[in-house]
Amino acid sequence: MKKFLSRISIKTLLIFIAILFLSTAIANSKQSKAQMVLAKAVMCESIKNFKPINPAVVFSISQGEVFCYSNFDPVFEKTYIFHKWYKKDKLIFTMRRSLSPPKWSSFSKIQLRNADKGPWRVEIRSVNNKLLQTLRFSMVD
Amino acid sequence: MEQNFIFFYGLRWQDIFDILLNSYVLFRLYVLFRGTNVIRVLLAICILWAVSQSAVSLGLIVTNWAMQGVITAAALIIIIVFRNEISSVLQTKNLKSFLWGIPRYQFHTPLNIIVESVYEMAEKKIGALIVLPLKQGMANIVQGGISITGTLSQEMLVSIFWPDSPLHDGATIIQGEQITSAGVILPLSKRKDLPSFFGTRHRAALGLTERIDALVVVISEETGKISLFKEDQIYNIGNRSALEKLLQEHAGDDSTKKGFRHQTIELFAAALISLFCITGIWVNFSKGLETLATHEVPVEFINPDQKMEIISSSVSNVKLLISGARPLINSINPEQINIQLSLSQSVVGINKLSITKEDILLPPGVQLKKIDPSEIDVTLDTLIEKELPIQPHWTGKLPIGLTMKSARAVPQTVRVIGGGLVLKNISTLFTEQISLDKLTESGSTTVSLVLNPASIKLEDTNKIQIQYLISKKPS
Repeated sequence: MKKFLSRISIKTLLIFIAILFLSTAIANSKQSKAQMVLAKAVMCESIKNFKPINPAVVFSISQGEVFCYSNFDPVFEKTYIFHKWYKKDKLIFTMRRSLSPPKWSSFSKIQLRNADKGPWRVEIRSVNNKLLQTLRFSMVD
Repeated sequence: MEQNFIFFYGLRWQDIFDILLNSYVLFRLYVLFRGTNVIRVLLAICILWAVSQSAVSLGLIVTNWAMQGVITAAALIIIIVFRNEISSVLQTKNLKSFLWGIPRYQFHTPLNIIVESVYEMAEKKIGALIVLPLKQGMANIVQGGISITGTLSQEMLVSIFWPDSPLHDGATIIQGEQITSAGVILPLSKRKDLPSFFGTRHRAALGLTERIDALVVVISEETGKISLFKEDQIYNIGNRSALEKLLQEHAGDDSTKKGFRHQTIELFAAALISLFCITGIWVNFSKGLETLATHEVPVEFINPDQKMEIISSSVSNVKLLISGARPLINSINPEQINIQLSLSQSVVGINKLSITKEDILLPPGVQLKKIDPSEIDVTLDTLIEKELPIQPHWTGKLPIGLTMKSARAVPQTVRVIGGGLVLKNISTLFTEQISLDKLTESGSTTVSLVLNPASIKLEDTNKIQIQYLISKKPS
């Protein structure tokens, strides 16, 4: 009887350890999976109906403003991203944008001044600061 | 003492030449004027000058002023009072004797001939007036005379003063071994305290010795007495030895090797004193002319770690305030001053390095007064490689109605080498400016990259192709 009990308990313990190991592995695999996928990112002159208008890489300051459009599809869970605007290699400002499932479009913009002429870039980064995409463009006369 | 040593260590060849030249000029002045009163007066002026300098150092204003006045007046007095000596030196016809000849006293004057002749004439009561000039010229004092230029002999001398001789009334001048002229008229003394038996010859002899350093022997025609006139003094000669002694004294103890050696030693001492005097004056002038100067000197970094590179330095040149003799300071070349800073103890990042006197190499005789700045910041970095994306730098304006949809660099990235600290802050390499003004359709252009800072280097070519897509803007 004692032997039987001891065999059952050992089996139970082994099963419990196996379940624990598997659940941890699943959890880890879920964590490592991207929370969203960047489907499209462009610089554009304006946004209309959540769509970018006149995407380009050169913008005249006479337009008054420039937009950075990013579309995420799918988005698995609520999260947020960053649009980091650089003039040459100097960080000018950072915009935080929230994302919600199942898909989401977000944008940031800058008001153009005469002093803004030159090469720019926008880095789209995840909440973990992972670089998702770099958009390079120039502001001209 | 150490400073004086450094001072002399910094002597240039020009300084040595300067000292030697002026020492020789001083020595020549001594040689030409020795035996005259000019030397004594010059010595007096030197003493006055020393007193004046002492007065300056002690702050005695009035004494200094008075001494300077006396020195100025003395310089004028020398020219007036010693015009005869000066003119006799300047009128020297022989350039060699003026520039480097060393005139000896009348070594070769055969004094025994003079003594014998004098006593012969004294015994025969033949009146005579014999002049033995020394250093001072007498050309503008005496008058008349017949130039003879004959070798001195007893017979000739007696024959000149023989009563029936046409030249017996005047004075005969003996220089060295020669009778240079006879029948010369000497200036008469105006003294009123002379003995009554003094005739014209005695007055003439005294008149001459009152003016110059000549020795004059007079034989009285009436009494046959021998008198000797020297430096305003009258000597009555009683015997031959007295006459010989006085003549020898006048001639500078001639005819002996001892006398020659004595003169050689004297001239050597004079040369040494001249050298010391001029050296002293030069040192005095050079130190008196000590000046300050500022030199901007580039800093040289030595002993760097081979893996490190100097990224920046807070200053590239350091101002050094130096002092020293003006000629020395003026003659300094920039290459003669170096600042070497060792980087052996430096690390990656900003290093504060102090500049000390030991780091600065100055020419001898130059002192360092100030270092500005005395501390500099040097940023060191290790060389690394980094791959950087390329971004075109567009300028100008696209024609109306056109838009640039995309632009791509080929290659898209380049590898650069540079300091780790520098490259850490660089994430993009930009092209030179590309004008949009004339772009009307898609195409490509080749441009260069702008390397900023210049310390970064490209591994490959600097030529980058930019491919661009231009389209009409939707209305």
